[in-house]
Amino acid sequence: MGVALLMIAGGAAAGLFGSLLGLGGGVLIVPLLTLVFGLELREAVGVSLVSVIMTSSVAAGVYLERHVADLRLGMRLELFTALGALVGGSIAFLIEERLLALLFAGLLAYVAVSMLRARTAEEGAVAASDDALAGSVRNMPLGLVGATGAGVVSALLGVGGGIIKVPLMHLGMGVPLRVSTATSNLMVGITGAGGAVIYLIHGEIDPYVAGPTVIGVFLGASLGSRVAHRIDLRVLRWLFVAVLLYTAIQMLLRVIG
Amino acid sequence: MTPFDRLIGRLLIGVTYVAGALLLVGVLLMLAAGIDPLSGGPSLDPGAVVGDVVSLQPAGFLWLGLLAVIATPISRVVAAAVAFASAGERRMVGVALAILLVIAVSVATAVAAS
Repeated sequence: MGVALLMIAGGAAAGLFGSLLGLGGGVLIVPLLTLVFGLELREAVGVSLVSVIMTSSVAAGVYLERHVADLRLGMRLELFTALGALVGGSIAFLIEERLLALLFAGLLAYVAVSMLRARTAEEGAVAASDDALAGSVRNMPLGLVGATGAGVVSALLGVGGGIIKVPLMHLGMGVPLRVSTATSNLMVGITGAGGAVIYLIHGEIDPYVAGPTVIGVFLGASLGSRVAHRIDLRVLRWLFVAVLLYTAIQMLLRVIG
Repeated sequence: MTPFDRLIGRLLIGVTYVAGALLLVGVLLMLAAGIDPLSGGPSLDPGAVVGDVVSLQPAGFLWLGLLAVIATPISRVVAAAVAFASAGERRMVGVALAILLVIAVSVATAVAAS
């Protein structure tokens, strides 16, 4: 019983942190399950994918109801994220787990650097705040290639891929930041589902691990979305960067060890 | 497309909460039975899921919930395809069907490889 409660608590912490800082939480769930609970990396990735689908579905539903997410743009791009997920999910079972851990450590470092540069993005958000949907989108070919890459990363490493898709749409395709964030959230579902079915069929999703973790992540993410406006995120961001870098080092030690 | 957006948004939220409720029941049954999550859960047997739910086995609820979570975005694409078809937007219907085809290929590829 204790381990199950710890998984719920750990999932809740990952969901809370992820939600407060605008991430799906997958970037924390995989290290939590591998480094704390000793799961195999692929099993952790499978569980993480289900978690990100769960958290993104409710958020995407709300964004669609409020007419913030661009369904047409999201579906065009998610055709390519789904293709990427097919490739990434297949590659994940062909490469060594140590290489997978190395790639995950690289992803953690990338996210940490992105978080440090988040101040610039926030300034951009104010400039780009716009209730209108994407409207005329530029550079669609870049978007399709980037979306494919985001799908590969998502299925390979068990993350939602928003850290790639949001800058891609906002900076690369000229989509307002608010719409980019909402549309990325919408796309996480299909990207995650494309990867999750592969892990499910390969027997890498354990219901006894996935159940408590997904419930925890969902509760944490729900709480995070309600309290985010009351919390000073500057200190939290630095703490998060430190956690990401520490986790990246632990992942690298796992590769070496 | 706004009314469809709202409908699809509600579908996403509704199905996710149903999936969450199933998972919650599964986790509570798991806790009540004192099951260690790291003991290794049963693999998915689609034919046994309903029977496990009827007999209040945690694995039945957990698998049903997990399958519902994974199916939620797929059901959203199906709903969008229907909505676009009724609005006469053939191109978007094609996009939706292509997404479903890619998911089907993912399943087929994984089955062949496993």
